[in-house]
Amino acid sequence: METIELLILILKFILFPGALFCIAYGWFLEWFDRKLYARFQNRIGPLLTGPKGVLQPFADFIKLLAKEDITPAGADKFGFTVTPLLTLVVSLFTLLFIPIASLSGILSLSGDLLLVLFISTVFGLLIMFAGYFSGNRFSIVGTERTGLQFVAYEIPFALSVISVALATRSLEIVNIVTYQVNTLKLPLIVIVPVAFIIYLISSLAKLEKIPFDVPEAETEIVAGWQVEYSGKKLAFFRLATDLKMVFVSGLAVALFLGGPYGPSIPGLEPVFYTIWFIIKTLVVMFILSNLRSLFARYRIDQVVRGFWKYLIPFAVLQILAVQLLIFLGVI
Amino acid sequence: MPVPGTLEKELLSHISKKPATEMYPFVKVEVPEGYRGKIEFNIEKCIGCGLCSRDCPAGAIEMVEDERTKLKKRPKFIYSRCLYCAQCEESCPREAIKLTREFELADYDKERMVIDV
Amino acid sequence: MLEEEVEEKRVFKIPVGPQHPALKEFENFTFTVDGEKVIDVDFRIGYTHRGIEKLAESKTYIQNLYLCERICGICSAAHQGCYAQTVEELAGITAPPRGVYIRTLIWELERIHSHLLWLGVAAHEIGFDTLFMLIWRDREVVMSLLEMISGNRVNYAMSTVGGVRRDISDELKHKILKGLDVLEERTKYYKEVCMKEQTILARAANVGILSKEKTLKLNAVGPTARASGVDVDIRRDDPYGAYDEVPFEVIVYDTCDVLARILVRVDETIQSILMSRWILENLPSGEIRTKFARKIAENEVLGRVEAPRGELLYYIKSNGTDKPERLKVRTPTLANLLPVAEMLKGGYIADIPIVLAGIDPCFACMDRALFIDENSEKTWVWDKEQLRIYSIKWYKEHGKEVVRERWKQ
Repeated sequence: METIELLILILKFILFPGALFCIAYGWFLEWFDRKLYARFQNRIGPLLTGPKGVLQPFADFIKLLAKEDITPAGADKFGFTVTPLLTLVVSLFTLLFIPIASLSGILSLSGDLLLVLFISTVFGLLIMFAGYFSGNRFSIVGTERTGLQFVAYEIPFALSVISVALATRSLEIVNIVTYQVNTLKLPLIVIVPVAFIIYLISSLAKLEKIPFDVPEAETEIVAGWQVEYSGKKLAFFRLATDLKMVFVSGLAVALFLGGPYGPSIPGLEPVFYTIWFIIKTLVVMFILSNLRSLFARYRIDQVVRGFWKYLIPFAVLQILAVQLLIFLGVI
Repeated sequence: MPVPGTLEKELLSHISKKPATEMYPFVKVEVPEGYRGKIEFNIEKCIGCGLCSRDCPAGAIEMVEDERTKLKKRPKFIYSRCLYCAQCEESCPREAIKLTREFELADYDKERMVIDV
Repeated sequence: MLEEEVEEKRVFKIPVGPQHPALKEFENFTFTVDGEKVIDVDFRIGYTHRGIEKLAESKTYIQNLYLCERICGICSAAHQGCYAQTVEELAGITAPPRGVYIRTLIWELERIHSHLLWLGVAAHEIGFDTLFMLIWRDREVVMSLLEMISGNRVNYAMSTVGGVRRDISDELKHKILKGLDVLEERTKYYKEVCMKEQTILARAANVGILSKEKTLKLNAVGPTARASGVDVDIRRDDPYGAYDEVPFEVIVYDTCDVLARILVRVDETIQSILMSRWILENLPSGEIRTKFARKIAENEVLGRVEAPRGELLYYIKSNGTDKPERLKVRTPTLANLLPVAEMLKGGYIADIPIVLAGIDPCFACMDRALFIDENSEKTWVWDKEQLRIYSIKWYKEHGKEVVRERWKQ
């Protein structure tokens, strides 16, 4: 009996809804994002690999694996090699806490929301290291910018998550989800809409997408922190970015959109929950893609100023509003 | 009053719109009438005057000795050098040269990119 | 850059180019930066030098039409038209009115396509890829109009010495008018977007300032000068073609920043659309070209036109043969290069691409400067083959020295 349970757990980690599912879903999300981005611009987008080009991110990954892997002479060899792997592992690890096939993630412990928040900030640090270790001029500028942007977006991101934690009075993701399903019977976005908007905007910055793609701004500093990475290392970084996309949209679903819960047939919950999860994350992705096709890139000083001047006050106001609602006994 | 996101309406309208992209290698592009493409040479009309060769800015037309026809010399078009200006078509006094609408001219072998009778 | 130096001064040198995504052509700019601030700019030109001016001396006037056209891909008609009109002046012939009108039409259509292209590139430089894609999609309209008129999308080969090569039929005229309506609507929409969109304004307003005094001092030309409040336009100041008859406004803005450069070009596009429509509606009838004898007696002429990027200058000297003795081109980008260095100083790294793009640089146009051997008084004409042999021979002898010299620098 025990061995079977262990086997199921291992399968959960590796197959579903663990690593393999998340990786495949990350590629799917990248395709979805690229396709939508293209459609917003009246283009076609990925077309040839697989039906409607859905295998394009996978093909890109395979192609990059086969490419020559160059370590520049000026780079810190150890750091340069380890950072991509570490980024990939870290982003996979955070996904274990995201509820996909059930109301809780594969891993769930009290206070895991804080842990997830902490690990997601490690992304930013790893990117800084990645730029720093490659010892390229463009990378150094990219690293500087990553650091500055990091200072800008992490605080509103955390504040928006905190307002959710306050509203549900819990720091455990599974409790937040069950609170929405059982106690509130509504997704939390109804209570904390401003926090949701702030979450989306800061996650755009976290994912380094337009208008906050300052650290890798192509026309300015070529590719910023990732300019020296090639071959396998670049493939890992790109996969990590895709996983980050799953993480950001998955966390948004868990915190604001009622988790993977939705109408389902009893007994088939895992299947239906997965389908609801996919639908909800696609909605989040749609908003993110739309936002990123809507703006010009801000300058780094404008990014920092904007986040501190507008988003943080609003996030604080949201927290106060949640407090008021609790005080009034509404939630 | 400046606002971010002025393009939103336009973007959403694209969702139901057909992409503007030309599906070029799969669907052939129609080029307009009068397009300057591959050269078509009619030896029957040629008088071997060499005006085309003299005016060609790219040196794509060479006059070669001709034994088969009654002409002394006939033009040989090396279209890997051609820049499709149609000056030869204009210079020809007998309308023996015409630029067609054919434009897919890439080749692996330079030797094959020659129009000769 | 040595590491100690970095530590000492806290400054950093960033090379932009010869290959860089912000530059569409090869040119080298070295920026000295402190953090995100640009302290100094240094540029090296000549990467796209092709020896066209020398080559032109070995080709006939007819052949040079197509050579000059290829100096630049974007303003090919301006180059070819300017060459043709200068040679006409040289030979003392005049093109018939219909030919002149059609030539002017091509110039204006080209201005539309060039400005729209620039607008798209500018959007791309500030990371607004959606606007870039949309503008380029609509630019296809004018591209296909030009293809219909001339038979090619880029190198129109329309002007010839003594007029133009193709006529415009009534059917084609209607098609062009229809296309112009679409273009007018879209350009007005983009103007509205550029004036309203906060993210564009955040990146373009008060960026890359070039004061009016500096503009005059550093001899900026074209839209770059007009965006700094300098009211110059060859089309009005020294009318050529049909510009003395076509009604149009010279667009001048005086905010001196990138936004002004954007608005000048958008407004000029609208003006060009109106002009093209006027030309089509008032197209005189008659011949489109006059005969041109291939040889031109000794003479020298300086001709200029307002290319989309600014004043374009052609100097041609003839010597009685069918080939020019000297052909000299001064393109607008060369004139705008010193002003752009001025604009970049004191800005941010993030502003480099949009400010650089702000002058609509065309480096392939610019790089034709040749070293002339002042010691040898002998003049000789080389054809392409001799030039090639000479260059191979010269590099065999001097190649190593050249490489060594470059390393020293």
